[in-house]
Amino acid sequence: MQPVVLLISLILMAALSAVFVLAVRAARDPAPGPGANAKRTGLIWAMTIAGVIVSVASLREWPHALASTGDALEVNVSGGQWWWDIDTTEIPAGKPVNFNVTTEDVTHGMGIYDSSLTLLTQVQAIPGYTTQITYTFEEPGSYQVLCMEFCGVAHHDMVNEFEVVAAEE
Amino acid sequence: MSTASENYIPGHAAAAPQAGAVKLTMILSGAVFALMMVFGLIMRAAQGQWIELDAALFYQLLTAHGAGMVGTAALSGAAIMWYFGGRHLVLTGGIFWAFLGLFLLGVVLILGAIFIGGYGGAWTFLFPLPALSGGAWEAGAAAAFMLGYTAIGVGFLLYYLELGRRIHTRYGSLARALGWNLILGREDNDPPPPAIVAAAAVTIFNSIGIILGAAVLAASLVHLLVPGFEVDALLAKNLIYFFGHVFINASIYMAVTAVYEILPEYTGKPWKSNRLFAIAWNAVLIFVMAVYWHHLLQDVVMPPWMLVVGQLVSYFSGIPLIAVTAFSTFLYVRGSNMTWDLASALLVLSVAGWSVGSIPASIDGMISVNKVMHNTMWVPGHFHTYLLLGEVAMAFGFMAWLVRGKTIARMNGLDRAGFAVYLAGAAGFVTVFLFSGAASIPRRWAVHYEEWLTHDRIGTLFSVLVVLGTLIFVLRFVARLGRSEG
Ligand code: HEM
Ligand SMILES: [Cu+2]
Ligand SMILES: [Cu+2]
Repeated sequence: MQPVVLLISLILMAALSAVFVLAVRAARDPAPGPGANAKRTGLIWAMTIAGVIVSVASLREWPHALASTGDALEVNVSGGQWWWDIDTTEIPAGKPVNFNVTTEDVTHGMGIYDSSLTLLTQVQAIPGYTTQITYTFEEPGSYQVLCMEFCGVAHHDMVNEFEVVAAEE
Repeated sequence: MSTASENYIPGHAAAAPQAGAVKLTMILSGAVFALMMVFGLIMRAAQGQWIELDAALFYQLLTAHGAGMVGTAALSGAAIMWYFGGRHLVLTGGIFWAFLGLFLLGVVLILGAIFIGGYGGAWTFLFPLPALSGGAWEAGAAAAFMLGYTAIGVGFLLYYLELGRRIHTRYGSLARALGWNLILGREDNDPPPPAIVAAAAVTIFNSIGIILGAAVLAASLVHLLVPGFEVDALLAKNLIYFFGHVFINASIYMAVTAVYEILPEYTGKPWKSNRLFAIAWNAVLIFVMAVYWHHLLQDVVMPPWMLVVGQLVSYFSGIPLIAVTAFSTFLYVRGSNMTWDLASALLVLSVAGWSVGSIPASIDGMISVNKVMHNTMWVPGHFHTYLLLGEVAMAFGFMAWLVRGKTIARMNGLDRAGFAVYLAGAAGFVTVFLFSGAASIPRRWAVHYEEWLTHDRIGTLFSVLVVLGTLIFVLRFVARLGRSEG
C-alpha cells in the first residue's frame, strides 16, 4: 500500500505546487475576470464530491474490524519498558490472527514488520486497556515487532520477532 | 461609510504600536529557529550515523527541538498577530511584555529540565511516561518541564484575554468579529477585517486548547508528586493531543495575518472579509478542534465515531485552506504586477507550503492508510512541510517586510540565494521524510538500521541547506534592523 500512497501524494502535491507556480507567473497577466468565483465554487464542489466518495469507499468496511473469534487464532502480546512478550512464536500462514495487546507500564505501539522491513499493521498499547487488531499473514517467514510509540530512552530497542509457518493441510 | 478595505493604507507601518517589542520577539524567534534547526540537523546526522550521539541525548534533543520549534512557531505567530491586531485595536503593551517574560521563563525551565535534568519525554508526552523514565530522569526534571509549559500557557492566556477583551470592546461581540453578520447576510457597515476574524477565531480555539492542556498538566504534576494518583492514560492522551494539535495549528492561523495584511501592499488589492471568508474561518474554528482525533486512529478502543470524525475532518479541513486561502492568493497575485522582494516571495511561498503540506496530512488521516503510516517518518514529513514552508516562511516573510526600507525593491543576489537555498533545502528535506515514511521507517528512533541510512544522509544534506538559508534570513534581518534604526 505504501508505494501507492506515496505516488498519489507526490502527484497531488506536485500538481498543487504547479498551480502556485502558474499563479506567480500570471502576476504579469491581466487580472482575473468575473468568472473566477464560479471557478472557486466549482472547486469547492469538486473537493466535496471527491471527499464524499473517498470517505465512503474507505470507511464502508471498518478498517479496524476484527475476525470473529471462531475462525481466528488468538495471540497475546504484552509490552513493557523495553521488551515485547509474544505468547505464540509460530503462527500459521493464511489464517486470521487476532492480536490482543497490552502494556505493563507506559504507552507503546505494536508495529508488525515483514522480513523486508515493511510495516504491515500496527496498534497502540495503552495502559489499562487491551487493544485488538486482526491480520492474516500470507507468507511464511520471520516477522518483527517494533515499538511505534515513543516510550523512553530504549524505545528503538524494543523489538521482538515471531515466525509464520506454512499452514498444515 | 467604512469598509474593511479602508483598513488598508499603503505603507502605514507606523500605525503599529509596540513595533519594538515585536521586532525583539522576531529576533528571538529567528535565533531560536536557527538553533533548533541545528538540533534537528544533529539528530538527522545521528540517525544517518555520520555522528555518534548517545540515545538519551538524542531524545533530549528531540524533546527540545519539538517543544522549542512549536513554542517558537507560536511565539512568532503571536507577535505577528499582535502587530497586525494593533492596526485595528488598541492593545496594552504591558500585556505583551508579560507574555514575553512568561514565555522566556518557560523556556528556561524547559531547557533546564532537558539539559540539566535529563528530561526526554517528548513534547507531546504521554501519561505516565514522565513519571516512568526507566532511570533516565528524575520526577523533578519532568515537573520542571511541565512548569515550563504552564508558564508559557499562562502567558498565552493573558495574551488572548487582552485580544479577546479588545476585540469585544471594538466590535461589540466575538460573534460579530467572527463575521457572523456577513455569514447571516445582515448589514454591517463596519465588518471585521481578515486579521480580526482570524484573531477572534484563534483567541477562542487556542484558549480552549490551552485550558485543556493545563488540565492534563495539572493531573500529570499531581501524579509525579502524589504516588497512587492515577489518570486514565487514554483520556490524558486525548487531552495532550487536543492541546498539541490546536496549539501548533494556532501558530499558523496567527501568522497568516501577515499574508492578509502585507500582500495587499504588493498587489494593490485589499484582502477583504466577505461571506465566504467568514464561513471558512468559522469552519476552521470547529474543524481545528474536531480533527485532533486523527492522532488517535490506532487507539482502537476509542469510540469509532470519533475516529470517523477524525478522518472526515482531516479531509474537509482542506477545503477552507485550498479553496479559500490558497485560491484567494492566486486571485490576488494574478495580474497584480507585483514586485517580488524577499517578503512577498516568502509570504506567497508560505501559503503554497501550507496547502501542499495539507495533502499528505489528510491522506494519512485515512484510518486504513494510517495503519501503515502512523508514527512513521511520514508524519514529520507532512508537518515539516507546513511548518518549514508554511509558518516559518510566514515568520521570515514578515521579518523581511519589517526591514524592507522605504521602497520595495526586487530581490538582490543574496536574497535570491537565500530564498533558493531555503526552498530547495526544505523541499528536499521533507520529501526525504515522506519517502522514509513510505519505506516504513519509524519516527522518533534514535538508532536507525543499516537499510535506512541512505534516507537519513540525504535528509541531512538537505537540512544543511535549510540551516544556511535560515542564517541568511536572520542575519539579514538583524543587519537591516541596525541600519534602519541607526
Ligand atoms: C533544518 C530544519 C529542521 C531539521 C533538520 C529538523 C529535523 C527534525 C528531526 C530529525 C526530527 C525527528 C524525526 C524523527 O521522529 O525521527 C524532527 C522532529 C520534529 N520537528 Fe523538526 N527539523 C527542522 C525544522 C523544524 C521546524 C522549522 C519545526 C517547527 C516550526 C520543526 C518541528 C518539529 C517537531 C514538532 C518535531 C517532532 C518532535 C517529536 O517527535 O517529539 N522542525 N525534526
Ligand atoms: Cu515501547
Ligand atoms: Cu516505544
